Amino acid sequence: MPELTLQSVMRRLIVASSVLLFAAHAPVKAQDRPTVVAVNYALSYFAERLGGSDIEVVFPVPDGVDPSFWRPGISDISTMQNADLILLNGAGFATWTAKASLPRSRILDTSRGFEDRFITTETVTHSHGEGGEHSHTGTASFTWLDQELAILQAAAIAEALAQRGLAEPATVETRMAALTEDLTALDAAAERLRPLAEGKVLIATHPRYQYLARAYDLDIRSLDWEAGAAPDKDQLADLEALVKDSGALVLLWEAQPTDEARAAIRELGLADVVFPTLANSPASSDYAETLGTALDDLLAALGGLDG
Amino acid sequence: MDRAVTRRGFPVVAAAALILGAAPTAFAHQLNVFASTDCEVVLVEAKFSSGRVPVKGEVRILDGANTLLRTLELGEDGTLSVPFGELDAATGLLIEVDTGGHDDYWILTPEDIAKKCQS
Repeated sequence: MPELTLQSVMRRLIVASSVLLFAAHAPVKAQDRPTVVAVNYALSYFAERLGGSDIEVVFPVPDGVDPSFWRPGISDISTMQNADLILLNGAGFATWTAKASLPRSRILDTSRGFEDRFITTETVTHSHGEGGEHSHTGTASFTWLDQELAILQAAAIAEALAQRGLAEPATVETRMAALTEDLTALDAAAERLRPLAEGKVLIATHPRYQYLARAYDLDIRSLDWEAGAAPDKDQLADLEALVKDSGALVLLWEAQPTDEARAAIRELGLADVVFPTLANSPASSDYAETLGTALDDLLAALGGLDG
Repeated sequence: MDRAVTRRGFPVVAAAALILGAAPTAFAHQLNVFASTDCEVVLVEAKFSSGRVPVKGEVRILDGANTLLRTLELGEDGTLSVPFGELDAATGLLIEVDTGGHDDYWILTPEDIAKKCQS
């Protein structure tokens, strides 16, 4: 045990009073409902559907910020440390969750039950710094774009809410049945892509759709464009080369493009569809409606190619 | 129905772009930073995921308002010890380490600090 000196005691008192002062100025909760924090919008939507008014769901990532690489502030971590449940996506999503002490007993990794179904991305070898040539591998992390995996993640949340007494179990069960019905309907809509997409190549502006591609047999090649930003000349030249090489006919935008960007794409003869990944909140509507619209638009685009 | 069993193989996705959308779960030398305090010092530790220790690096310590409190050099053993009394930690501490090519951070909240200082 460290020796207690007057100086160290005073320091501890100062820190303790500072914390109390900080706590006094922290936002007061509107109610005493259990707080559930989610690392992406999809999980926050599932939690809201399952917990209803029994819980307060916090999705701390600001609009327009990629939750995968968001950097929280100290107050954000404080919020999480005080939450009753912290919903992680797993599959390596949200690296910031390993940059602070989070209470393990209140963490739920929603994809732990299907780690054997994670998609490992290919190895890229490059060289920089002192380490010489080295390789990176990774895990694709946008799991919820496969609706079967989305249902498993929602089920994990439902189980945690019920088992931890954060919401009434019978009510959670009823809500889970309704959510499963909606996600199953989205799965059925996505299944309709399979025959239309056979033999066709799609290009995505960002490599986010690995689970969607695997689940519904889509051949999706990826670019690395910033979401919502207009592509520059070099990016368009790369796209043109990829279109020639792959014979791609449809482009998926991760976020709403500018009119100028959209016009440039159409000049290349590509049909295009805005397909939000739902890692962050959609501009309007919710998970089910946004994904449903994106699937309908993609179905129409693929169907139009055969027309 | 288990799709993993019944579905056909995963189509090839462009390798050049795949890594950029993937979680970096196994970066060969990703930098990992950890910081802790016992209320006497703030100890910063940095290590590459390969196990190698960075021999140099800049350590920036910021408060809860993102105000830079101190900029210091990482020791040759990949650690740095900063006297706690030299830092205004009331709003927590954000500790960034930049080795020039790799960087990482660790967050100490007021609650983290209070736990250590009250124990």
